[in-house]
Amino acid sequence: MSRFLEVENISAAYGSVTVLRGLSLHVDVGENVGLFGPNGHGKTTLMRVLSGLMRPTSGKCRFDGKDITAIRPSEIVARGLVQSQQGNTLFGDMGVAETLEMAAFTKPARNRAAETLAYVYGLFPRLAERRPQRAKTLSGGERQMLSIGAALMCAPRLLMLDEPTLGLSPRLKEELAAALKEISKTVPLIVVEQDVELLLSLSDRLYLIEHGEVVREIGTENTPDTAEIMQMYFGETAQ
Amino acid sequence: MIETLFTTLLSGVVLGALYALMASGLSLVWTTLGVFNFAHGALMMIGAFVAWTVSEGLGLGLGPGLVAGVAAAAVLGVMIEFLVIRPFYGRPNMLLITVMTTLAVMIILEKSAQMIWGARLKQLPRLVEGDVNIFGAVISAHEALIVVIAPTILIALWLFATRTAVGRSLRAVGQNQDAAALLGINVPLTFALAFGLGAALAGLTGVLLGGIRFVTPSLGVEPLVKAMIVVIFGGLGSLGATVGAAFVIGLAEAFLVLVVGLYWTPFALFLGLIIVLIFRPNGLFGRA
Repeated sequence: MSRFLEVENISAAYGSVTVLRGLSLHVDVGENVGLFGPNGHGKTTLMRVLSGLMRPTSGKCRFDGKDITAIRPSEIVARGLVQSQQGNTLFGDMGVAETLEMAAFTKPARNRAAETLAYVYGLFPRLAERRPQRAKTLSGGERQMLSIGAALMCAPRLLMLDEPTLGLSPRLKEELAAALKEISKTVPLIVVEQDVELLLSLSDRLYLIEHGEVVREIGTENTPDTAEIMQMYFGETAQ
Repeated sequence: MIETLFTTLLSGVVLGALYALMASGLSLVWTTLGVFNFAHGALMMIGAFVAWTVSEGLGLGLGPGLVAGVAAAAVLGVMIEFLVIRPFYGRPNMLLITVMTTLAVMIILEKSAQMIWGARLKQLPRLVEGDVNIFGAVISAHEALIVVIAPTILIALWLFATRTAVGRSLRAVGQNQDAAALLGINVPLTFALAFGLGAALAGLTGVLLGGIRFVTPSLGVEPLVKAMIVVIFGGLGSLGATVGAAFVIGLAEAFLVLVVGLYWTPFALFLGLIIVLIFRPNGLFGRA
């Protein structure tokens, strides 16, 4: 199988604090990959590096066979690697419809804008109801939907979602999970998520990230159940 | 008496229109880049001088002069962004650094203008000759035209910022740089564009002002101070608030000149500013 995304020995640091320590992983064509692990161990930093918001101190990222390590975020988006950030409020003073329309900024995205917009509103009817509303007046769940919707407007070929259900009520979570499932049928995903069940239902393969490294790769053959994953999370004693 | 009041009102509206034009450029740069551009007044002055050179020096007329003045200010603005602002993005003390770098640019531009164009007073021709009589109060047709041009430009600017993809991207970058970059917006390019556009507005204001006042290397100093009062008074940020504040300040200034005289007017304006900021720290029209 060919590699769609390849992360090779990436290290990254905030000042003198090293967050990623030679992390490597890959996403093959046609698969969804989940990332999990304790908070503060580098998942979000990895996303920032992949999107070009942060320069790694060493290592390489390749997307669709081409090196994307040292290029601008806007260029990475134009190539189809798109991210919906964790807890992102996007643009507080912009309306829902305005944000989504603007999000189709790159040329390929603009060409499909009308079609994608209809798809996003179909996926998230709540957004359709709140078209003129400013982003800062939306609830947490609606903001998350807007953030994912905006990412979809960018015409992603691989979509990275950083904790899409963080801080949502169980009911909203369910709603969002259904939408994510739907999205995964058309766009391959990389999902960072604390909800293990959701993660298992979305991904073909999982990586456990701890201390800025991949400590375990969980393939399709021997998919563990929720209990086993919980154990990896919390260690042997936390039963 | 009524006539005096009406004349004062008109001159306040003319001032307000000029301040609105100038402050909107300052506000555009502030909201997009988070930089307070102290060279804004100097860009106005350069716009006026370049317009003078093309219009009077080369004898090509005011039309080409206006275009050249605005273009020169815009190009200079993009250069300023590239040379003295871009190197400092992301620094925690960027605001302070850019206060100093743009102040330095202001001084350099003023001294350069002195060297290039000399100290002799120059005047730009007016857009149109003649006077306009409005209910007994007389203002020059040039000033009347400014009152028409300024709102037109500002409405165009507003439409650009809210209806076009590029304009929206400008606002997006101002509100959340990372999120804008993640939508494929080229953030550095957007910065250059915002600065260039702000500078172009400064250049335009300079050319218009050059038909009313003498063009000197310090042409932009006093209007810059007024524009600062306007943006602070209006609450840094929204275009509507800036324009509203510009007319409030313009009218206040016109009436203050009538009541307390030219000498005490700046004092009174700053006093008013301080009082407004005590009770409304986010500006008169600013949101909390």
